[in-house]
Amino acid sequence: MAVATDNVSTGAVYDTDDIMDMAGGSSGSFLDMLGGLGDFLSQPSVLLPGVVGGLLTGEAYGRLSDIGQQARTGAEDLAATQMEQTQFRPFTVTTATGADMGTRVTPEGGIATTMGLSPEEAALQNQLLGGAGGFFGQAMQTREPREQAIFERMRRAQRPEEERQRLALEERLAGQGRLGVSSAAYGGATPEMLAMATAQEEARNTAMLGAMQQAQAEQMQQAALGQQFLGAGYLPQQQLMAATQPAQQLAALQQQAQLQGAGLFGEATMSGLEAQLVAEQARANLLGQTGAGLLQGALTPRSTGTSDLISTLGSLFKKD
Amino acid sequence: MAQELKSINLVAPAFKGVNTEDSPLAQDPSFAEIADNAVIDKRGRIAARKGHTVVTTNKTVLGTGSLRAIKEFRDDAGNTKVFSVGNNKIISGTTTLVDETPAGYSINADNWKLVDFNGRIYMFQRGFEPLVYDNTSGAVEAMSDHTHATGVTSAIYGNEVLAAYGRLWTADFTANKSTIYWSDLLNGIHWTGGSSGNIDISKVWPDGYDEIVALAAHNNALIIFGKHSIIVYDGATSPASMTLADTVAGIGCVNRDTVQYTGTDLLFLSHTGLKSFGRTIQEKSMPISSLSGNISKDIIAALQNETEFFRSVYSPEEGFYLLTFTSQAVTYCFDVRGTLENGSYRVTRWPSTGFTSFTRLTDGTLYIGTTNGISTYTGYSDNGTGYRFKYYSPSLTFGDSSRVKILKKLKPTLVGANDATVFMKWAYDFDTTYATAEFTIGTQITGFYGVSEYTTVEFTAGQLTNQRSLNTTGYGTSVQVGLESEIDGFALSLQEINVMALIGKLL
Repeated sequence: MAVATDNVSTGAVYDTDDIMDMAGGSSGSFLDMLGGLGDFLSQPSVLLPGVVGGLLTGEAYGRLSDIGQQARTGAEDLAATQMEQTQFRPFTVTTATGADMGTRVTPEGGIATTMGLSPEEAALQNQLLGGAGGFFGQAMQTREPREQAIFERMRRAQRPEEERQRLALEERLAGQGRLGVSSAAYGGATPEMLAMATAQEEARNTAMLGAMQQAQAEQMQQAALGQQFLGAGYLPQQQLMAATQPAQQLAALQQQAQLQGAGLFGEATMSGLEAQLVAEQARANLLGQTGAGLLQGALTPRSTGTSDLISTLGSLFKKD
Repeated sequence: MAQELKSINLVAPAFKGVNTEDSPLAQDPSFAEIADNAVIDKRGRIAARKGHTVVTTNKTVLGTGSLRAIKEFRDDAGNTKVFSVGNNKIISGTTTLVDETPAGYSINADNWKLVDFNGRIYMFQRGFEPLVYDNTSGAVEAMSDHTHATGVTSAIYGNEVLAAYGRLWTADFTANKSTIYWSDLLNGIHWTGGSSGNIDISKVWPDGYDEIVALAAHNNALIIFGKHSIIVYDGATSPASMTLADTVAGIGCVNRDTVQYTGTDLLFLSHTGLKSFGRTIQEKSMPISSLSGNISKDIIAALQNETEFFRSVYSPEEGFYLLTFTSQAVTYCFDVRGTLENGSYRVTRWPSTGFTSFTRLTDGTLYIGTTNGISTYTGYSDNGTGYRFKYYSPSLTFGDSSRVKILKKLKPTLVGANDATVFMKWAYDFDTTYATAEFTIGTQITGFYGVSEYTTVEFTAGQLTNQRSLNTTGYGTSVQVGLESEIDGFALSLQEINVMALIGKLL
């Protein structure tokens, strides 16, 4: 793995391999590049510590790079593991009356819920919902036919008595010789006939109004019954839903525990990774320090020639 | 050996009127076999009827026809007008008859009935639109032409009309014989709306079916006369609520024009004779109560033979009910002042009078319609022409029909009969050939003390009475005595006839 280093001052970019190569890959060319520096470095007191120091430093450098890589890989593995650990776990609920509810994760990652009633409950629900539909259907129908039906029923109950009264009046009028009376003042009939006709008309009107009110009440009653049936039709489902509440709580607890376990797992894993990183970092630092010390010792001018070495090293790392 | 004359005194002969029903031999001498042009006068004697005096001087519009109905119109403002019908015209006036027929109104029958009601006079005849007259319009007009008329349709073109209980009532239509229509209250031209109405009594007839002939009002009841039934409705002041009060089967009314009110009763001619409504209701159609019981067969024959009209009138002033069969020119006069033991009225007969209509005016004047126009019942000649008064007793047996009677003398006592020629007649054993003795009464002028001159008139009492004694001939077991006289200007009453006879041997 390469780590990019940005040389700001020069604008040129070198990666670590380039640097390592420049440091020890091909000493001939490097020394050649160094020119006069080679002579200096080829001195045994400089060359050996310098090489060892450089190697150690390179080793440290490489180890630091591996540590980052390992940390990244470990973190990714941890994330994958935790992703798996925190994944929703489908569950099913079955009530005492035979209804069940199931959950599943869809391929798209969603959660699908399925509910099912027992055959008895389904039959009852169908019956109730059908009844609700029937009631609503009746409630939505125009009232006139029902009004007419109620009116006819009321009139059917009234007609026999009216007929008896009519016959009694007829007999009375016949007894009085007045069957044939027609008076303009009484609508072309007798006062008694007009009174009876008026009473019958009043009864008819009352029946008509009663039929209208009754039909209206029935319509409201059917709407209310529809509501009740509709509510009752969904009662098994509601009960199923209610029955899933404890399971949902349990699932939530499980999820919570799962999340908590995943968190702990993550934390523990991350702690291990961090410890490993720290240890590796320390090792790398140690190596680096060792290498640096060797290099420093090798490159430190003892009495003479130091300034030349420094300047040489300065020019070494200077790029045009 | 000479036998004693037996005197049979016929006091007030025929004061019970004519009796053609009982056997002549068994009859009370107070009946008459014939009493023509006679009435029962105020003293209970048989007397000559009054004649009539024509008041019409111009009868051009009547032509050769005769008046078939007369009615006096009076309104609250005091307007009066006499209407009559005849010669297919509506006529007004008494001296000069004026044609009041509405323009464009075609009449081909004279069987109108006229009623005066609430300021208008109404005329009804079957199949004809009713006519109406009031003083405001001043002209007779068809009812539908009246400004305020409503509901005038052929349904109300009745033959009978009655003004009673604040309404007009009509019945007897061409195609409907069981329905009665009544007008709105106090308005005879409103036949729809208001309190107008009708009643169909086809289901009420006591014997299943009948036809309305006449209507009458009596004791707050509506009397409906069928041909052979009577129906009584109570509470007719409110016709929509009136109720059947009574029905009588078997007795009806022959003709609407025979119904007359007598104040306390209602007289009508049934197919069995003259009836009293009050008595009919009480007795429920018992035939013995017929007011014409003494001439039942005669009157039944007359009504069966009648081809024109029946006309009648009640005159409280004269105390009689006249019933005329116009096509037979005979009038029966019923004395309504009292009834006989059998419940009948005393009745006399007026033949060949030519009377075709009557009406009694408010002042009591009796108007008579004839071919000459309008007459008043007054005087003792038929418009200047005399008429024959006839009296014939039933056959008299003097208590023993087995012995021969030999008439010796007849001694009539007459009252009045000034200047009259009197014919006394007698016959034996139901023979219709009468022996006759004639005498003339001569001029009798009442002379009053201090008023009449001496020798100019003969002193008399207030009443001129004549007694004559006439010798008679023949014999037989039964004797019928008669008296005839031409009435031409003076009254005649028969006070009594004293019959002197010898009772002979047994046969």
